[in-house]
Amino acid sequence: MGEAQKGLLSVIEKLKGSTEQEIRIVLLGLDNAGKTTLLKSLASEDVNTITPTQGFNIKSVASHGMKLNVWDIGGQRKIRPFWKKYLENTDLLIYVIDSADKKRFEETGLELSELIDEENLKGVPVLIFANKQDLATASPASEIAEGLNLHTYRDREWQIQACSAVSGEGVQDGMNWICNNIVNKKK
Amino acid sequence: MAEDDSEWIIESIVGYLGSPEWVIPVTDFMENKCTVFDDEDENKLSYTEIHQQYKKLAEKLLENYMQEVGINEQQFLDACTSPFAKSQSLQPMFQPVLATDDFQMFRSLMVQKNMELQLQALRVIKEKNGALPECLTDGVDVMTELQQQEMKILEEVLKKSKEEYDEEMSRRLLTEMKIGSTSSSSSDKPNTEGVEAQEATITSFTQSNTSKPTSDCGGSSIQSRILPAVRAPTKSSESSDANSHQTEERSSSREAAAEAYLEEAHREAGFSKPYTELSPSQQEQLQQRAAYLRQQRDKLHALKKEQQKTRQPAVPEEPSASPIPAPSTNSEAVGQPQMNGASSPPPAPTSLSQHSANSTKQKEISAEEKKKLQKRKHLADKLKEEVIKK
Repeated sequence: MGEAQKGLLSVIEKLKGSTEQEIRIVLLGLDNAGKTTLLKSLASEDVNTITPTQGFNIKSVASHGMKLNVWDIGGQRKIRPFWKKYLENTDLLIYVIDSADKKRFEETGLELSELIDEENLKGVPVLIFANKQDLATASPASEIAEGLNLHTYRDREWQIQACSAVSGEGVQDGMNWICNNIVNKKK
Repeated sequence: MAEDDSEWIIESIVGYLGSPEWVIPVTDFMENKCTVFDDEDENKLSYTEIHQQYKKLAEKLLENYMQEVGINEQQFLDACTSPFAKSQSLQPMFQPVLATDDFQMFRSLMVQKNMELQLQALRVIKEKNGALPECLTDGVDVMTELQQQEMKILEEVLKKSKEEYDEEMSRRLLTEMKIGSTSSSSSDKPNTEGVEAQEATITSFTQSNTSKPTSDCGGSSIQSRILPAVRAPTKSSESSDANSHQTEERSSSREAAAEAYLEEAHREAGFSKPYTELSPSQQEQLQQRAAYLRQQRDKLHALKKEQQKTRQPAVPEEPSASPIPAPSTNSEAVGQPQMNGASSPPPAPTSLSQHSANSTKQKEISAEEKKKLQKRKHLADKLKEEVIKK
């Protein structure tokens, strides 16, 4: 019975019959980290009218001949319990950090480590965006990587990328890493 | 052999997706849960929960069906990916199936369903009350772009009808004034008789000075009778076909009324010559009175507008009163000032003209109401089209 259900799911998945490869990406991080700004920047949309996300946003971005379905879920404390509902079948986790918000480095590190332990994200590659590098008070990406103990990750691919979602700087570099490392492996 | 199989399976699947067994539970689910789905860019967290529930429902239904018919997932998949199933006509049938795995498609189906239900509700309200209550037409809390456009149109329509109503009112007052004490409303305000006459001059000066700057009294009144008939078609051609008859009638009666005002005003003021032939002092005198009287008129109209506004929502939509042929309204309005003897005309035609003014007003309101409904319907269709295209 359980097997039949699994079969049906995959059947419906295949039903879409798109020749394009689809990648499901979940975009997480604390509130005010810049997730929605990053999402809009990826979709080449206006980033000046963004308000705190109460629910979630989805954008489909075509990149390197693939369709990236990016799910941006609100980061406020009261919404974080809902994160795990969106992790199923995820191909990649993007975690966004406000590099200038030093007071909350510990909090964001805890949230990340909880995600890494999630069953649904087992072995799923993670890309960390050290966002807001346009601010003078931003910490460099290497410092943040050290604080997060990224070098201890053995069970998955990871990358940290300095960026500014507002200016778009570094965002494309991150996307290139996704396409070069993750997508090829999936095939 | 395999081809035969897949053909048979497709037919069966299509049959199932069109059968009550599938359609009823799926439609029920969508209708019950669609109310939270709006057209906002951002998704609510509750959408995910509902999508999960939908997934469970659809999977259970499809599983039962496959067991019943005795096909496995692979056969189902083969059938669904065959060219026949991908034809344009069958695509909509498979959308609810695809929506189980595709949140975006699920969302658009739900938004569409919600829109459909809202339109249905609006239709029911309209059928019940004849018109939409003000709270549904003037809502200011959530204004979408379309609603804003609609508001603009509504405001235009209201403004126009107000103008027309004003014209109608001043024409009526004029008629009442002429029959003097026989009219009850004019006896209420006997002092305004001169006022109204003066006001008529203002109106006519602003409206029809192009038509009669030089001619004398007799000639102008003849001209006034001819002009509306000539002019009306050019005006009505600008407006839409549906309203052309009405507009024609209105514009011609308006012009006729304007001419009448001028005549009346001159008579009342004791000047037998047209305005342009008066001495400067007389002209100045007229201007001064005009300024005062304009104020009086504005006050009066403000009051009337108030009354009309409160009355309007209560007026039920009814088949519009039989249209009064334009010529009769015309001759009524123009004919009276021609009786230059200043003796009061017989009461019968007056009451008739009063009645005609009344029914015209009633018709105006219902026509306006109709226009509103048509606009709304049109917008709703457009809305639907857009959503469905998505």
